[in-house]
Amino acid sequence: MPLNRITAPNLAALYEKAAATFADLPAFATRRGPDDWEPLSFQRLFERGRDLATGLIDLGVEARSHVGLLADNRVEWILSDCAVQLCGAADVPRGQDTTPDEIAFIYAHAGCSVILVENAALQKRLLSVRDKLPDLREIILLDPDAEPAPGVHPFASVEERGHRLRADGDRRVEERMTDLRPDDLFTLIYTSGTTGEPKGVMLTHANMVSQIENIPLDLTYRDRVLSILPVWHIFERVFEMITIAAGCCTYYTDKRRLADDLLAVEPTFMGSAPRLWEALHRRIRKRVAASHPVRRALFHTARFLSHHYQGSVFFLTGRRLLLEPPRPVRRAVLTLLHALRWLLLLPWYGFFNAAVLERLRQGVGGSLKGTVSGGGALPLEVDRFFNYLGIPVLEGYGLTETSPVLAVRTPASLVIGTVGPPIPGTELRIIDPETDDVLFPDPSRADAGRGRRGEICVRGPQVMRGYYRNPQATGRVLRDGWFRTGDLGLMTWNGCLRILGRCKETVVLSNGENFEPGPIEMRLRQSPLIDHCMVVGQDRRHAGLLVVPDLDGLRTAGFGIHDLAAAAGDEVVRRRIEQEIRRRISAENGFKSHERIRVFRLVPEPFEVGRELTNLQKIRRHVVEERHASLIEEMYPGAGDNGGSRG
Amino acid sequence: MMEIERQLLSGLDQALLALMILVIMFGMGAGLTPEDFRSALRRPRGMVIGFLSQFGLMPLIALGLAVLLDLPPALAIALVLIGCLPGGSTSNMFAYFARGSVALSISMTAASTLLALVMLPLLLELYTSGFAARLDAELRAAGEDATFVIPRVNIIISLLLVLVPVAGGMILRRRSPGWAKAAEDTAGFTAIIVILYLITSAALRHGGLYVSTPWQIYTGAVGVGLAGFLFGYLMSGAFRLEPRFRRAISLETGIQNGPIAFAIILLSFAEPVRSQMLWLAILYSTFIVISSSFITLWYRRVGRIDDELHRNNRVHQRLFGEAFQTRYPEALLPPKLRRIAHRL
Repeated sequence: MPLNRITAPNLAALYEKAAATFADLPAFATRRGPDDWEPLSFQRLFERGRDLATGLIDLGVEARSHVGLLADNRVEWILSDCAVQLCGAADVPRGQDTTPDEIAFIYAHAGCSVILVENAALQKRLLSVRDKLPDLREIILLDPDAEPAPGVHPFASVEERGHRLRADGDRRVEERMTDLRPDDLFTLIYTSGTTGEPKGVMLTHANMVSQIENIPLDLTYRDRVLSILPVWHIFERVFEMITIAAGCCTYYTDKRRLADDLLAVEPTFMGSAPRLWEALHRRIRKRVAASHPVRRALFHTARFLSHHYQGSVFFLTGRRLLLEPPRPVRRAVLTLLHALRWLLLLPWYGFFNAAVLERLRQGVGGSLKGTVSGGGALPLEVDRFFNYLGIPVLEGYGLTETSPVLAVRTPASLVIGTVGPPIPGTELRIIDPETDDVLFPDPSRADAGRGRRGEICVRGPQVMRGYYRNPQATGRVLRDGWFRTGDLGLMTWNGCLRILGRCKETVVLSNGENFEPGPIEMRLRQSPLIDHCMVVGQDRRHAGLLVVPDLDGLRTAGFGIHDLAAAAGDEVVRRRIEQEIRRRISAENGFKSHERIRVFRLVPEPFEVGRELTNLQKIRRHVVEERHASLIEEMYPGAGDNGGSRG
Repeated sequence: MMEIERQLLSGLDQALLALMILVIMFGMGAGLTPEDFRSALRRPRGMVIGFLSQFGLMPLIALGLAVLLDLPPALAIALVLIGCLPGGSTSNMFAYFARGSVALSISMTAASTLLALVMLPLLLELYTSGFAARLDAELRAAGEDATFVIPRVNIIISLLLVLVPVAGGMILRRRSPGWAKAAEDTAGFTAIIVILYLITSAALRHGGLYVSTPWQIYTGAVGVGLAGFLFGYLMSGAFRLEPRFRRAISLETGIQNGPIAFAIILLSFAEPVRSQMLWLAILYSTFIVISSSFITLWYRRVGRIDDELHRNNRVHQRLFGEAFQTRYPEALLPPKLRRIAHRL
């Protein structure tokens, strides 16, 4: 696939080249009212970024220094990023939900002397830990409507000062730009991940440029991208860099306005975490369930047809999950049957696609050419739903440490149940996590080791330089250029990567049997009654479960429950959820007997982002285990002596 | 020469066909609002070109094909009749998927349906009197005692009758948009089922018909639609219309309102002419669905870039203000679109 985008040796040069190439096209747009948005062109983005960079240099930002950027998605964020790159410095981004402790740890560890903060609340939070930040000299406030504290510079004044300096012939930005090297850092991202203390991931210009050059997404200057994930997260960040390189416009939205903005912006592309697709899926199902019987029947007919029709299309185009070596005879017979089914269904599908499915697609803006899902696995049902509806879901895989994309589906290799093939330039190995033996690729085997499970290891231009000031942690994951992801996976027969879970998440019961909690939790989260859940059972006799019930779901199911504490105490709710667990985690659904949930507890409070959940809604297991230790102990009475918990 | 000895459609078939016409025309009305007629007047350029294409080009194409292929008079009359018909709601759906202007397609459908009351009898009179005289002579030679003339009055009455369910659909749309949507869907689905039923039932009872039908008739039935697509596109291109208007006019020209043809034939013509005409109308209705699907897939591909530019411009103007002009750097655009990209 030819990538219609520009490239440059570093991100500062990329901003400059984008301005020269795309000039007056809008680069970013922010919402002021329902149908009132303000665009910022590529040209203005670069010019304003350059002014701001001059202002920052004047405030003392050195080349190769670290500049704090404490803000969520807004146009000043991208201006700040542009300016920091033009200064030849690296930014240290974090968002709204960073706790004071994290702020103190991160910005002290990174040694930031200048920090840009978004608004009054963050300014206050930052000032509350100022005494723990000895290097901090200057603070700049992004929000023009907020009141800067004494000594804090308003964003506009720094930009204006830079503008005046440049008018007087200041060309320090140009010097910094020529001085940039590909292996200089462009960002230092602190991951709180699912375990342990934040680590600063050092990513270089070369890392990000390799992503821009290799990620196979068909974005052009005619596209519109709706941005909903926090931009300081690397997944959204790489998306924004690619939109800049492709010349398309990014529109900032948030969760509350998503439904309206989908209709207003008519995005052609969107990057999102699985939770959003799950929510959208649930909303569509709900709307269908509430509609007139005739329309419901039409919908179900359309769904049935598209399921079988697309199933055959996926098979005939070689996009099915191949976990075992292909058998030629079987394949020939199946090909014939699928071709027959395809032909039979074609006219009916054609009609229902036009009459019914198109209207569903309209509900998500109508122009969506594709979506990228990352930061967690997408439930199979949701994955199929959108793909068969005709909205390709390009699920990808990666970590902050790999800038982040390692593998991503493309329309041609859209194999449901996998994250697609590794992107160009990426070497991938599957190794035995215990012995470090290479299971794939293994030249001694005829099948090269496809289908064997193990830890995913990668080498490539996107792998980080290391963790900042943490050689020990770096040494644990990075050896001879090979990065150990800590994820379990396997390579399918058609060259796609399948993710199986976290190595360390594997729950080992006291009888030695083990299982992955991921699939169980994903299955349960599909229930309208369950908002979140987490499987426990390490070193215990059997698997247990913590459940946060979904209040909306309970209400729809007829329970007059108003808060989680009440739900946790309600025996009828308990029994209803028990049924739900039994039904979903059953042998019929492919769960083994030791994976069956024997005990569970309802959690009387929600899991919150920044506490039990990461920003991508992944569960931080160690936090849940700590906070809800008493509930877990309750499930295993008399097990005090062998109830060791994991670190 | 093809002979249809028995009646092509049984009484049940004809009743079904009548029901289908009713449902489809009702569904078509359910997709229209008075606004569509009014907005037709607001885009005179596209409408005039569309009008020339539908009532100027298309009947001439049909006539030309009938003469060129030397069709028997009854079939020639049927072909010209098809050429003179107004557009149907099917074309709106195809225009949508072909990235054409749906608004123009709907306006053209609305306007041409009304105009057909005048244009259709006029054009038939103009182009079919020769065929009618020949048919009259043939029938007499075969021993029929009646004379054959084009039943002008009956045609106008059939057209008016067909407009009744359209009006009914429009009233439903006004009362309940939700139900109107359901009626539209049902109509589309009914059309497919009934056409499939008619083809199979005709095949079962007159199996030899497909084989005995000479190639000239197939060519006429298929060619009239294809030529309509081609000339509709070329003509709107000659007038420098934007690509998405060209695609809409092209489809609108080639896709005729089949149900109206059935209604007119059933209500205005007697056997044995009726069966022959019906056969051509069935062939046209079948093949037009297939050829439109292929043309639509083709248009979808070639129209991708200009359609994306159009949508992008529209979103920009909606969000950034009507005055906002998206300025695309020339180097990025395909040469054909350089001059017009900003105003697509």
